Amino acid sequence: MAASIFGVFDEVTQNKIISSKVLVVGAGGIGCELLKNLVLSGFPDIEIIDLDTIDVSNLNRQFLFRKEHVGKSKAQVAKESALHFNPDAKITAYHDSIMSSDYDLEFFKKFDLVMNALDNRVARNHVNRMCLAADKPLIESGTAGYLGQVSVIKKTVTECYECQPQAAQKTFPGCTIRNTPSEPIHCIVWAKHLFNQLFGEDDPDQDVSPDTADPELAGEAGKAALESEAKADAAGGIKRKSTQAWAMETGYNAEKLFNKFFRDDIKYLLSMEALWKKRKPPVPLDWNNLPQDVPATTHQVAICDQRLWSVQECADVFAKSLSSLKEELIKQGEGGMLVWDKDDDPAMDFVTSAANIRAHIFGIPSKTRFDVKSMAGNIIPAIATTNAIIAGLIVMEGLKVLREEFDKCKAVFLNRQPNSRKKLLVPCQLEKPNPKCYVCAPKPEVTVILNTHKITVKVLEEKIIKGGLGMVAPDVEIDDGKGTILISSEEGETEENTEKFLEQFGINNGVRLKCDDFLQNYNLTIIIYHRDKLEEDKEFQIIGDVSEIQAKYLEDKENEDKQPNGLTEKQATEAATAVEDEDEVMLVEEEEIQQITVSKKRKHDEEPEVVNGDTVKKQRLISDVAEHYDDIIS
Amino acid sequence: MNTMEGKDKTNVDKNNKYDRQLRLWGDHGQAALETTRVCLINATATGTEIMKNLILPGIGSFTVVDGQKVLGEDAGNNFFLTKDSIGKSRAKVATDLLAELNEDVHGDFLEEDAEKLLDSNPDFFSQFSIVVATNLCERALSKLSNHLWSKNVPLLVCRCYGFIGYMRLFIKEHTVFESHPDNTHEDLRLDRPFPALVQYCDSLHLETMTSKDHSHTPWLVILYKYLQEWKKQHNCKAPNDYKERNKLKEMLKKGIHRNEEGVLEDEENFEEAIRSTNMALVPSKVPSEVEKIFNDPSCTNLHSESSAFWIMARALKDFVDNEGEGALPVRGTIPDMTADSERYIQLQQVYRKKAAEDASKVSQRVQQLLHSIGKGADDQVEPLRPFMPSPSSDGHTSLFSSVGLISEHEIKTFCRNAAFVRVVRCRSLVEEYDNKSTKLQELVLHLDDEEPDDAVFYVLLRAVDRFYEEYNAYPGWYNDQVETDVSKLKACLTKLLQDWGLSLNIKDDYIHEICRFGAAELHTVSAFIGGVAAQEVIKVITRQFVPFNNTYIYNAMKQTSITLEL
Repeated sequence: MAASIFGVFDEVTQNKIISSKVLVVGAGGIGCELLKNLVLSGFPDIEIIDLDTIDVSNLNRQFLFRKEHVGKSKAQVAKESALHFNPDAKITAYHDSIMSSDYDLEFFKKFDLVMNALDNRVARNHVNRMCLAADKPLIESGTAGYLGQVSVIKKTVTECYECQPQAAQKTFPGCTIRNTPSEPIHCIVWAKHLFNQLFGEDDPDQDVSPDTADPELAGEAGKAALESEAKADAAGGIKRKSTQAWAMETGYNAEKLFNKFFRDDIKYLLSMEALWKKRKPPVPLDWNNLPQDVPATTHQVAICDQRLWSVQECADVFAKSLSSLKEELIKQGEGGMLVWDKDDDPAMDFVTSAANIRAHIFGIPSKTRFDVKSMAGNIIPAIATTNAIIAGLIVMEGLKVLREEFDKCKAVFLNRQPNSRKKLLVPCQLEKPNPKCYVCAPKPEVTVILNTHKITVKVLEEKIIKGGLGMVAPDVEIDDGKGTILISSEEGETEENTEKFLEQFGINNGVRLKCDDFLQNYNLTIIIYHRDKLEEDKEFQIIGDVSEIQAKYLEDKENEDKQPNGLTEKQATEAATAVEDEDEVMLVEEEEIQQITVSKKRKHDEEPEVVNGDTVKKQRLISDVAEHYDDIIS
Repeated sequence: MNTMEGKDKTNVDKNNKYDRQLRLWGDHGQAALETTRVCLINATATGTEIMKNLILPGIGSFTVVDGQKVLGEDAGNNFFLTKDSIGKSRAKVATDLLAELNEDVHGDFLEEDAEKLLDSNPDFFSQFSIVVATNLCERALSKLSNHLWSKNVPLLVCRCYGFIGYMRLFIKEHTVFESHPDNTHEDLRLDRPFPALVQYCDSLHLETMTSKDHSHTPWLVILYKYLQEWKKQHNCKAPNDYKERNKLKEMLKKGIHRNEEGVLEDEENFEEAIRSTNMALVPSKVPSEVEKIFNDPSCTNLHSESSAFWIMARALKDFVDNEGEGALPVRGTIPDMTADSERYIQLQQVYRKKAAEDASKVSQRVQQLLHSIGKGADDQVEPLRPFMPSPSSDGHTSLFSSVGLISEHEIKTFCRNAAFVRVVRCRSLVEEYDNKSTKLQELVLHLDDEEPDDAVFYVLLRAVDRFYEEYNAYPGWYNDQVETDVSKLKACLTKLLQDWGLSLNIKDDYIHEICRFGAAELHTVSAFIGGVAAQEVIKVITRQFVPFNNTYIYNAMKQTSITLEL
């Protein structure tokens, strides 16, 4: 055909493309498609960055990679493959984390447009802030199974990625995991913690032994349990030693490990009688006396992955995976450790068997290895078609951004099938920035509810400021007129502060902390809201909009007043939270299609689904929905 | 048990490679994909993008039919045609590069013009599971679609024209039972409890159980009991309006235990019963979509050529009319609920057992029906084309134990999805091109507005086709003729509307826009259509989800799309 492809674009667009320099963050499913689209749409100068290496499970959609590339840098191979097809393009690849300080404000300022092709919220938050700081337009995107979305972020014109509160991380209280599991996921989380205790990094938050600090044990029952704890220590003699050191001493002996975790610890749990007044008590298992009559799936399925294992089979796999993992650990030498990986067979076998044994003990339905992999690995189904569609949409939005037609930019949502109005795509108007956003507002502020007597500076830094608020290298000073430095991004400067509680610095209700992240060029004021006890025994709570917290606690107050009607404070708070959560979390619906087992939830062919939103609010951020899964166990 | 050796190794590799998609369409969906043969006509950018998205997830094989040589602009917008291949066979180059995407997919090509091939050897196309055609002119398309229509081979036609993407599906009849509708009700039968459910619920006594058991009784049982109580007080009638349902909820609230101080206990199961009341009281009836299938002549008049789907549909209908007493087979699944595992599993078994009984009754009817059309187990006949994908030849699935000509597994799946079975029938190209077609009148509804929707591009593309028939070139193809082409295209459009007997005013802006496109294929539009089209092909192949019917238009300028039945 005679007319050049370029002729379709008007002259302004052509010139914008020819003179553009763009950044693609992520060389995965969307990234590969996007790189191809940009090259073939005439973008002359593209930089692409990805920290990851190529895995076999990428090959069903990340088409720039082949089998022989497994283990290599995604960004590098994507670049080489794209150049192989089109040698004229200028592509720069970085095998690195976008959160590294090498990619500072100056780096971001080089580009006319930044496009995210990411799979996690932490990096999305960071790029959002870098683009705001550099005042560069950002296109955000995400896919989950058949669903996808694209959105445009432009400072002061549209909402930023963090303008709306993000769905709360789904975590489980420690005592549910350690003492009173009631769902398969609780056992799977426990099994992953057990893996880390035995082979990985020691994390006190991932203890797997019975928890004597369970709030349900308050009062008399608690006393009894505490007494028996002393006994157990004496008997087991392993409490004071690290689990890993003990396991090592036994040579990762399957029988000893099995009997400790599935017999002795369970017996100990049984001694906490208060827990079992209203629950079905667990039944300890003995290595030498395993039930032989528990039926596995009778249905003949050839694939081992999708068949339920009997307790005996679980025990066999447990033993076998223990010995493989032991070998791997020994290979690493002194101080070595293993990192749990869903694609590592022994690691996956270990978690599947341990989780199912524990499930059996607590009378919880067991799960196939296939399902456990989904749940433990936070797997989000992914296919080529959805990524292709989304990457096509991204470039179309990108052209509008280059022309600076932000009023024409849209947030576009992809449905699984045409909706009731026969629309497969739902384009929505972009929302205006939230003036109370704690990231993009001119003077960002955020309220954190916590108990200043219980929160250390370390927790403030790691869990709240870095984990919750997404800063990378914060400096924090107390806004007390004296400028007391609480946390310094310079290593070692404030080390003596880390273990101290906030109240030791005079931080109490209403105190303001000034946080500054040099890399993100981001200043945030944290207002401390002290409370002795938080709902659901949370450690802290981050509230973007102060009026929200006032309304909320007012509501609690009302509910507390209603106590004579029978609701306890805890229930009332829960009810209030449930209502609040409904807007965000209830959007995620799991569809049951095939009930193969007695499983209570989760099938192989389900996906996080956005219910029926035609509006921005409702459909907001599938990426987060996807991520909601990411966060289940992290 | 976990050691996989020798030939199982390839299955492990495949399971790992396809892990992320197996979680969407399951092993049977994958097995269907792996036995599929796809034909692509014309290796345009759109064509190769579609194939890429089918080869990656692992179709069985593909064949590219294309008589053209690679041109400069092909290399510019097609990822699978490189600069150094200019002048070579487009079919060959594209096939070689596409085949690199997945070593498990076999690729083949034929360097021949599709239209010529249709004249010389039309049956060539009948060997495929589905044919995907891109950038075919109207004349060739007519021949192709008529031929494939008569051979019952599905055809997907795709085209990217400037900022416009277009797809049209031709499929005579497509039957689905895993249709995965967006909203589904649980099938709990509280309005018409079956004997085993009654018996189970009656065996539990809320009044006498311990408080631990009381708070762990599944809400289904609780709601059943309170419903019976209600009926006793209301002439055996269930609550049938908002007010009455609220009264029932009040009764449930009163059933929550109180502690010694008179404070309500935390009984989540009662909360769940209250929350689920509305949902659970929705009467169990045959959905209208399924009624339609029951009344379809293919269902009422079975014959020796009837497909497995229609035989099962008929068995289902007969079941509903007889032992089902007006209701579909019980689905056999219950939602997650607060309960002790023991009773939850018992309750689940009650439903599952009933579902199995119902399915076995349907199965008996299937065997009778097969016998009545001369395809019974003892009859010496050609097997029916299986509805569910059969296991792949390497024996990787053994899910299907075949009893007679329709497997038990198929029948069970059919019964479990009884409320969701669907039939899609597209109209043929002959029907679409019939100037008296009633569907054309419907177009007016889309266009008779100040701001017509994307259906306007259908009309414009048809005018473009007319232009091509007349001038053997596309409007705006030659940069120096854009202006004259505008008036020519306008004339074509006017004639087209006259033939249709429609009086519509389509703005000149659209005509200018179309001429500016010059029939160019934009890569990013091709990439989008490549994704959407491949997804539709996968729906057709796996028989999961309902494919669109029958025309789809994407407007890349506005990021909007529309589905029309033409």
